[in-house]
Amino acid sequence: MSMTEPASIPEPSTPAATLEGDLVRKARRGDLNAYDELVKRYQERIYATIYHMTSNHEDANDLAQESFIKAFQALKSFKGGSSFYTWLYRIAVNKTINFLKQRKHKHHLSLNDLDFNAEHDPDLVALISDKTPLRDAGLAELQKKLNEALLKLSEPHRMVVVLHDVQGVSHDEIAEIVGCNIGTVRSRLFYARQELQGHLAEYMKPA
Amino acid sequence: MNQSENNFVSLKQVLKLKRHEVPPPGYFNHFSDSVISRIRAGEAGGAQSLTERLHGTAPWLVSFLNIFETKPGLIGGFATSLCLLLVLGVVFTERSDSATKNILATVEAAPGGDSLASVTAPPLAAAGDSSGIIASTNPVTSLQPVSTLFGQPNSTLFQAASFAPAGTGN
Repeated sequence: MSMTEPASIPEPSTPAATLEGDLVRKARRGDLNAYDELVKRYQERIYATIYHMTSNHEDANDLAQESFIKAFQALKSFKGGSSFYTWLYRIAVNKTINFLKQRKHKHHLSLNDLDFNAEHDPDLVALISDKTPLRDAGLAELQKKLNEALLKLSEPHRMVVVLHDVQGVSHDEIAEIVGCNIGTVRSRLFYARQELQGHLAEYMKPA
Repeated sequence: MNQSENNFVSLKQVLKLKRHEVPPPGYFNHFSDSVISRIRAGEAGGAQSLTERLHGTAPWLVSFLNIFETKPGLIGGFATSLCLLLVLGVVFTERSDSATKNILATVEAAPGGDSLASVTAPPLAAAGDSSGIIASTNPVTSLQPVSTLFGQPNSTLFQAASFAPAGTGN
């Protein structure tokens, strides 16, 4: 189970999208089996987005579940103007931002473990190899620093970095999810990266 | 844009670490079950949320609230417009009050009219002379003679109260 795959939204004409349309229609009629299928499709991406925004597994778990429940309750109002995926993402994003506004300045990290592949990722190994001979400790330290740095960003900036640089969502899709234009997405991404770079300067290779 | 992308190569390498953060093993095996059971519990408990109840009674309101959900910025705009309406309401109320005062002041200042009552009272006094109206103890609702369908004054519409003791009549 990995959260590393970039989000791919099914094209409207593909069989996957057709199947998704059927599932959405059935779920709208109250078919929980169909909705269960939809949850399984998107649970990892929704959870990952919320987790990377909150840096807290328990909060991410609660918010992800609540997002799916809210989506089911609001399914009757889903007109199909956007894809179900984008619509669901929007609900999760708004829920997360509202939650973060309420919990302002009360950050409590509850980080997930790194998977086995992290130790063997050449990019990551190169980053920490100069810092400490203990590779695991180095990665754990970097993970903590990275999450703390992310939490220093404003929510809109963090959201754009998480969606684009961590989850691989395109600018267009982010604009649709967040509800702003592409120019704003690009500008937020630029300033967020600049700020992050400042916070993580000690781990950056000199250009 | 490519130049700025190049500037952040190191940062992107660091951010790759986030992709390796994974929840406890087996976490997603039960995630959808939890969601579905929570939905079922909500339905079985009959504890319909406000949104669900609104779906049945006022779907337009739900759609309206969903707009706020997707675009939180609109809440501010909506609140501002409500405040503006309130302010406009107060301003127009004050204006109409001052207009009423002006009318009253004009009436008081008019020659021969001591008060508003004197302006409205004369028809009452004159009403007794009207041939079609008979004095009555009942409240007077209309002092104008009421015409019948055939154009004749309807003299039977109002009956005069008789205070004569029994047996003294003609």
